[in-house]
Amino acid sequence: MPFISKIERQSDYGSFNSSHPIVIDNGASYFRIGWAGENEPRVIFRNIVQRPRHKTTGETVTVVGDHNPVLLKYFDCTRSGPRSAFESNVVYQFEIMEYILDFGFDRLGADQSQIDHPILITECACNPVQSRGKMAELLFESYGVPSVAFGVDAAFSYKYNQQLGICSDTGLAITSGFTTSHVIPFINGEPVYEACCRTNVGGYHVTDYLKQLLSLKYPHHISKLTWERVEELKMEHCYIAADYASEVQLFQRGDKEAEDKTRCWQLPWTPSPVEEPPSEEEIARKAALKEKQSQRLREMAEAKRSSKINELENELKGLEFLLEELKDIEEDDEIVSFLASRGYASKREAESAFAKVTQSLRKAKGEQVPSEEKVDISAAEKYYLIDIPDDELSAEQLKEKRRQVFLKSTTEARQRAKQRRLDEELEKEKEKKLEEQKRMENPERYLEQLRAKYKELSEKLEQRKRLKTNGNNANGNNNVSGGVGRGERLNAAQRERMRLLTTAAFDRGKGEDTFGQRDEDWQLYKLMSRDNDDDDDDKPDHDETELARISSRLREIDPTFFPGSESGASASEAPRFRPLTKEDFQIILGVERFRCPEVLFNPNFIGIDQSGLDEMVGVSLRRLPSWVQGLEDKMTSSILVTGGSCLYPGMGERLEAGIQMIRPCGTPIKVVRATDPIMDSWRGASVYAAAMQFPQQTFSRTDYYEKGEDWLRSYKFRYTI
Amino acid sequence: MEREVLEAELVLPTHMKFKKIQMYDKYPKGQARGRHWKHLKQIIQAENYENYPPHLPTYVNIETPPSMHPGKKICDITGFEAPYFDPRTKLRYANTEVFKTIRSLPNDYVQRYLALRNAAVVLR
Repeated sequence: MPFISKIERQSDYGSFNSSHPIVIDNGASYFRIGWAGENEPRVIFRNIVQRPRHKTTGETVTVVGDHNPVLLKYFDCTRSGPRSAFESNVVYQFEIMEYILDFGFDRLGADQSQIDHPILITECACNPVQSRGKMAELLFESYGVPSVAFGVDAAFSYKYNQQLGICSDTGLAITSGFTTSHVIPFINGEPVYEACCRTNVGGYHVTDYLKQLLSLKYPHHISKLTWERVEELKMEHCYIAADYASEVQLFQRGDKEAEDKTRCWQLPWTPSPVEEPPSEEEIARKAALKEKQSQRLREMAEAKRSSKINELENELKGLEFLLEELKDIEEDDEIVSFLASRGYASKREAESAFAKVTQSLRKAKGEQVPSEEKVDISAAEKYYLIDIPDDELSAEQLKEKRRQVFLKSTTEARQRAKQRRLDEELEKEKEKKLEEQKRMENPERYLEQLRAKYKELSEKLEQRKRLKTNGNNANGNNNVSGGVGRGERLNAAQRERMRLLTTAAFDRGKGEDTFGQRDEDWQLYKLMSRDNDDDDDDKPDHDETELARISSRLREIDPTFFPGSESGASASEAPRFRPLTKEDFQIILGVERFRCPEVLFNPNFIGIDQSGLDEMVGVSLRRLPSWVQGLEDKMTSSILVTGGSCLYPGMGERLEAGIQMIRPCGTPIKVVRATDPIMDSWRGASVYAAAMQFPQQTFSRTDYYEKGEDWLRSYKFRYTI
Repeated sequence: MEREVLEAELVLPTHMKFKKIQMYDKYPKGQARGRHWKHLKQIIQAENYENYPPHLPTYVNIETPPSMHPGKKICDITGFEAPYFDPRTKLRYANTEVFKTIRSLPNDYVQRYLALRNAAVVLR
C-alpha cells in the first residue's frame, strides 16, 4: 500500500459555513487535509514540491505531491529533485510550505477570496517558536485564516485510540514517523512533554539505508533503485527481527529457514536473442548470389580479354604488313626514312616489336608461352648490348644497355629464388618424411618430444619477449611517450640511452667543452635516438617460425593440445563474454529485510548516537515525575505504537521484549498498535476540531500580534476536553 | 503545455483566488533573493534555549541521550555480527570471505560503506 494519494478536487467547499474548521495533518512525509468531524481526510498527497522546467516552453513550474510519473516526461527534472519543507520534523522552508498549502486548499475546493475557516494544524512536539510563528503568519497573512490551533500528531493519535478504548488515559505513545521517533507519556490524558524524548531516526532513514545498501550491492541496477521503488520494497518486505543476533545467524549459517526468508525482486529482463544458425535456404540464397557475382566478373574478364586479343591481332597485322613492305624496299636510306615515318628506329626494332606482339597475343589467347630454354636462347639476342663496352655506344644505346642489364639481373634473380624455393620445399618434404617415419616408429615418444620442444620454445620466446618489452607492452606501442611506467625496468639499450641522456643533461658547464672535436662524438646522438631500440623487431626470428610449425603440427596430431595453454599467454586474453542471465537481473533481499528497520532500535547502525525505540521508553520513564506511586507500571501497561514506521511485522513483539529487558521482572507490559497508525492522528485531530470547546483553543490574528512571541511559545493545545 | 498535463492539473496555478498575497507578489520573478530561510540549526540557535529554565521541555532537551548499551558491531557488507575490524579500510567484517571482498573493494565503495554509519573520511 505504498503512497496513496488522494488529489481529486473537492466540489463541496461552499457547503461548509465559515465556522467549520479545516484540519491539516502536516507530516514530514504526507500532507492530509479535510473537514473537522469527518472520518477521512479529503485530500492526501506527499509533502514534497518539485520545480521542474517545461521542456518545450522552458518555464519553471511548480508540481506538488506525487503525480503520474509518466506526465513528468514533458519536464526537465534533472535540475530539481523533490524538495521538502521539513528539516528533521520542523518546517523551515516556508516558500515550499506555501506551495503545499496552495495545492492543499486548491484541491479541497477553496474558491472564495480567502480561507474563511479556523484551522487546526499539527506540528512536532516542542516545535521551535520560530517555526510555529512563521506558520501562523503564513496562514494569517497569505490565506486570511481567522484563527489557528496547533497540536501534536502523536497526541491526537493516542487520544483517538484512547477514545476507542485501545489504551488508557495514562500511558505511553511510541510514535515513529518519517524523520523522527518519539516516546510521549500521557498522564490523565495530557501529554507530558517534560518526560518525552525524541530520536532522530525514522522511516526516511530506513529507506535511505536500504537504498544505499542495495545500490552498493547492485551498482548495475542503480537506475532501477529509485526512492519510490525502494520505499515500496521496504513496505513490502521489511520486518523487525525478534532478536537481531539470532536472526542474522540463520542467514550466516545459510539455513533453510533463511532461504525461505530471502526475497527476490526480478527486474524486467528479456533474454538476449539466441543467434540461430542460418537456414539452408539462406545458405543457398547466399551461394547463388555469390555465384552470380563471380559469373559477372568472369564475363567482364572475358570481354576484356577478347578486346585485347582483337587489338593485338590488329597490331600484328599492321606489323606483318610493315615487314612485308620492308622486304620490297631495297635501299638502306629508304628503309630508315620509311621506318622513321612509321615510328621505328631500325628494322631490328620493328622485328622485336613484331615478336613481342606475337608473344603477348599467344599469352592472351592462353596458349603455352614458349618455354624458358627458348627465352634463354633468345637471351643473347635480347641483351645484345650488354657485352659491348660503354665507349662504343651512343647515349641512346647506353640507356638501352642499362635497361637490359637491369632486366637481365632481375630475371636471373627471379630464377635463383625459384630454384631456392624448390630446394627448400624438397628439404621440408624430406624433413616431414623423416618425422613421419619417426612418428610411425614410436608415436608416443614422438608426441612427447614434440610437446617438450614446444614448451621449451614457447618459454624461451616468452622470456625473450619479457626481456625486450620488459612489461611495458602495457604502455602501448613501445613507449611512444618515451616515458616508462612506474616499476617497469628498462632493457639494456634503453638503460644505456637513459644514461647518455642524463650525463648529457648534467654535463653542461663542467670543465672544458671538447664535444665535437672528434668525429666519433657525433655518434652519440645516434645512440641517444630512439630508433636503435627496435632493431630486431621486424624480422621474425627462427624460433618463432619453429614454434608456429610445431604448434600447427601438434594441433594436427594431438587432440588435447591447446596453443598457449602452458605458456601463460592465456592470461593476456580478454575475459570471455558471459551472456547475461535472469539471475543478473535479480535483487535479492536477505539480511537487508530486517537489517534496515533495525536502525530504529540501533541508530548506531547508521552512525546516529542515540537510543533506540526500546531504550527510549526507559529514558522517558526516568524523566517522569517520581512522586506518583506506581506510575511507571501504569505507563507500561498501556503502550500505544503509532506512526508509519511501526507497521513492520514484529514491531510489537520486539518492543515488548525490549521493554521487558529494561523494566523489573513482573512489570505489566502491554503493547498495542494503533487502529490505523498512519491516519489516526488526522482522525484524532478531526474529532478535536469538531468539539464544542475547540474555538477556545484557537488564537486569532490579533491575538498573535498582540500577545507576542513569548505567549506563542507557551501556547499549548489542551487534549482533555 | 500538453493536453494531458493540463487535464491532470499537474502544474500548480500561479494565481490562487483564495489567497490574499499571491506567490508572485511575495517572491517576484527574476529578483535575486538570497536564502530567506533558516536551517534547523540556526532556528535552534535563535531560540536561545540556554536561557530557559532546565525543566521546560524544548526541542533540544527532549532529544534522547546516547544509548547506554555498547553499540552492536555489524559487518558493514553483510550485516552479520562482526568480530573483526580491518585497520586499512576501517570496515568491520564478519569472516574471511567478506575480508576478501572488502580488500578488493575500490576506495570509493569503502568510503560509501563507511558513510552509511557516518564514519567516512570527510574532507573539508
